[in-house]
Amino acid sequence: MNIKGSPWKGSLLLLLVSNLLLCQNVAPLPVCPGGAARCQVTLRDLFDRAVVLSHYIHNLSSEMFSEFDKRYTHGRGFITRTINSCHTSSLPTPEDKEQAQQINQKDFLSLIVSILRSWNEPLYHLVTEVRGMQEAPEAILSKAVEIEEQTKRLLEGMELIVSQVHPETKENEIYPVWSGLPSLQMADEESRLSAYYNLLHCLRRDSHKIDNYLKLLKCRIIHNNNC
Amino acid sequence: MKENVVSATVFTLLLFLNTCLLNGQLPPGKPEIFKCRSPNKETFTCWWRPGTDGGLPTNYSLTYHREGETLMHECPDYITGGPNSCHFGKQYTSMWRTYIMMVNATNQMGSSFSDELYVDVTYIVQPDPPLELTVEVKQPEDRKPYLWMKWSPPTLIDLKTGWFTLLYEIRLKPEKAAEWETHFAGQQTEFKILSLHPGQKYLVQVRCKPDHGYWSAWSPATFIQIPSDFIMNDTTVWISVAVLSAVICLIIVWAVALKGYSMVTCIFPPVPGPKIKGFDAHLLEKGKSEELLSALGCQDFPPTSDYEDLLVEYLEVDDSEDQHLMSVHSKEHPSQGMKPTYLDPDTDSGRGSCDSPSLLSEKCEEPQANPSTFYDPEVIEKPENPETTHTWDPQCISMEGKIPYFHAGGSKCSTWPLIQHNPRSSYHNITDVCELAVGPADAPATLLDEAGKDALKSSQTIKSREEGKAAQQREVESFHSKTDQDTPWLLPQEKTPFGSAKPLDYVEIHKVNKDGALSLLPKQRENSGQPEKPRAPENSKEYAKVSEVMDNNILVLVPDPHAKNVACFEESAKEAPPSLEQNQAEKDLANFTATPSKCRIQLGGLDYLDPACFTHSFH
Repeated sequence: MNIKGSPWKGSLLLLLVSNLLLCQNVAPLPVCPGGAARCQVTLRDLFDRAVVLSHYIHNLSSEMFSEFDKRYTHGRGFITRTINSCHTSSLPTPEDKEQAQQINQKDFLSLIVSILRSWNEPLYHLVTEVRGMQEAPEAILSKAVEIEEQTKRLLEGMELIVSQVHPETKENEIYPVWSGLPSLQMADEESRLSAYYNLLHCLRRDSHKIDNYLKLLKCRIIHNNNC
Repeated sequence: MKENVVSATVFTLLLFLNTCLLNGQLPPGKPEIFKCRSPNKETFTCWWRPGTDGGLPTNYSLTYHREGETLMHECPDYITGGPNSCHFGKQYTSMWRTYIMMVNATNQMGSSFSDELYVDVTYIVQPDPPLELTVEVKQPEDRKPYLWMKWSPPTLIDLKTGWFTLLYEIRLKPEKAAEWETHFAGQQTEFKILSLHPGQKYLVQVRCKPDHGYWSAWSPATFIQIPSDFIMNDTTVWISVAVLSAVICLIIVWAVALKGYSMVTCIFPPVPGPKIKGFDAHLLEKGKSEELLSALGCQDFPPTSDYEDLLVEYLEVDDSEDQHLMSVHSKEHPSQGMKPTYLDPDTDSGRGSCDSPSLLSEKCEEPQANPSTFYDPEVIEKPENPETTHTWDPQCISMEGKIPYFHAGGSKCSTWPLIQHNPRSSYHNITDVCELAVGPADAPATLLDEAGKDALKSSQTIKSREEGKAAQQREVESFHSKTDQDTPWLLPQEKTPFGSAKPLDYVEIHKVNKDGALSLLPKQRENSGQPEKPRAPENSKEYAKVSEVMDNNILVLVPDPHAKNVACFEESAKEAPPSLEQNQAEKDLANFTATPSKCRIQLGGLDYLDPACFTHSFH
């Protein structure tokens, strides 16, 4: 059998092309079932990736807030109106290291996922509203778009981690609902700016929370509190 | 009286006021909280700046409340952080929650409050500098030496649980340099420096920062002395690399210089100019037009080396001059045979016509009806069974029809073509043919063209049959066979005879010896007494067929039984072609006892040998 014959060449080429086309739609590596040793490596990669994403999202949020404040609200005391303005404040999130170490792993992960889920809608509206603004600030808009996308990816990764670490977890779709959309669309500029300021303020805070929590969990789960 | 009381009271008050002013006691000025920092995200400290002093001891108190709470708290620790500071311990520190705090300054005269400060611990994180920076020079044996530095994270920072993440940065410089060399070290607590100046004293510092927060201050500088023998191998490597590159460049330059042209032609091959197949531009330059034309028109008749060994040389006799054999010997091909022909000089067309030996040789190869005896001792080496090739005849007839001018009834067949298997001669034949083709006469030109084409064709067929010396002989033999015992000998013409534009003439057979050898001589008009003016042959001519070839390359001719007119060959004064055959021809002539007169037939100036005479002589 002459492998270099023209009919074989054609079939090989066809096979190669079809494989390449199929490979584009291949899903990520499937999660290994159960707590096998091999799964730890995959979990490590998942956590590493999640930490990178959360770190990146907080950097973007911090920059976005700084730019907004510098441009629209600096020195005008808007921060006074941010007290108790975040929609995720009802979640029982740990506020120091001791509390974080006391919370159990499963709840911790659920908490993170709830926070992430609760931010899907606000981010979507943030992008929509900023895009619709007159003289939309490009720097802020681009960051908002990026944060929205990366948050979705982080949520997917977290759901993967949860399915690996706690496969028996029932899907809990409860999360705080954000209802600040009317505030973003208010006619009064002061009120509208205050709404945006609050939203960006809360985003900056919650992204930092998630980043910190994930780094805690990573050291706890992967490195056994020995980072 | 009342006025005295009032004035006294006013005086007293003013005095009191004056006394107070002289003492400088005022309510305190407004303090200001100017900085809050958390070194580990577990505690934090705030510092305030007191306002103007009222002259009296002032107490400061910091009060705060947190986001989501309404209860006011006071600073738990005023001491740890130093004067005018408030330190919040672990139990008082919360992340992701806004602290609203203010400082209250009070003294006897009054108190004043600072502005509220909104503080979130999340964004005030700044660690202490790293500790225990150690620097040393390491020089392993088989590797390059380097500067090795190591440090430890500041205290009170929890890295193990992941609560805190630290990133480091180091910088160093020679003692007297102005600029620092900074390197980011990430989360590692050690670093390696490779490029150093030997013999210098270096300063090294390190600092750190949280994943989201402020950089710490630089650690205290650590000094390190680089030893003088700190070898930098990089320079040695670079020097050797440079030398090697120079050598390679020299080699390349040398190679290019030597073979530059060939390389250039390899890369940029010369554009070929227009080339006509068979066209030699050099010939044009040299002025050898006959060769050029021959190449142009007769490219299908390439000469071959096979012909070089052929013995027969084409001899041409200039009819206009005296009738002495004017053998034109080309260097390449000594002619050995002589053909007895006589060409009318008046008719130029005759040169290009069938009468011309070359043309007729080609043409007459095919249509040879009239026998013509021809003797070429050298050409034929072996006898060959003649094939019956009566196919010649129809062609001959056709040829006859084509050339009515020159022959009365196929006179062409009566010519005596000499075969020259010299490649050059064959080439020249074509040349001659072509020359004739461009001759002055129109009618002969056309005929010549046809003749030339036929000649080409025949020569082509001859050539195409076989190659090599044997091929030549076989060709000659094939000529025999084709002629069917006719002996039309194809005579590739020499270039020179036609080049000189001399009238063609044929060589007479001088004599035939008992062995059948023919000695050919140019026709001598004086001897023959024939009028120079050629006359068209009266009737068809015939050729003597070669019956066999003898050992000495002697042709044995026999008369054509179908021949009507027997061409008789007349002996004539022999002019010696410088060859062996002449001697033999001499002998042959001497042996010839046949009646020349009888054998000789004058046909339009062409003398033929009567085969009957031969038979007489032979037998």
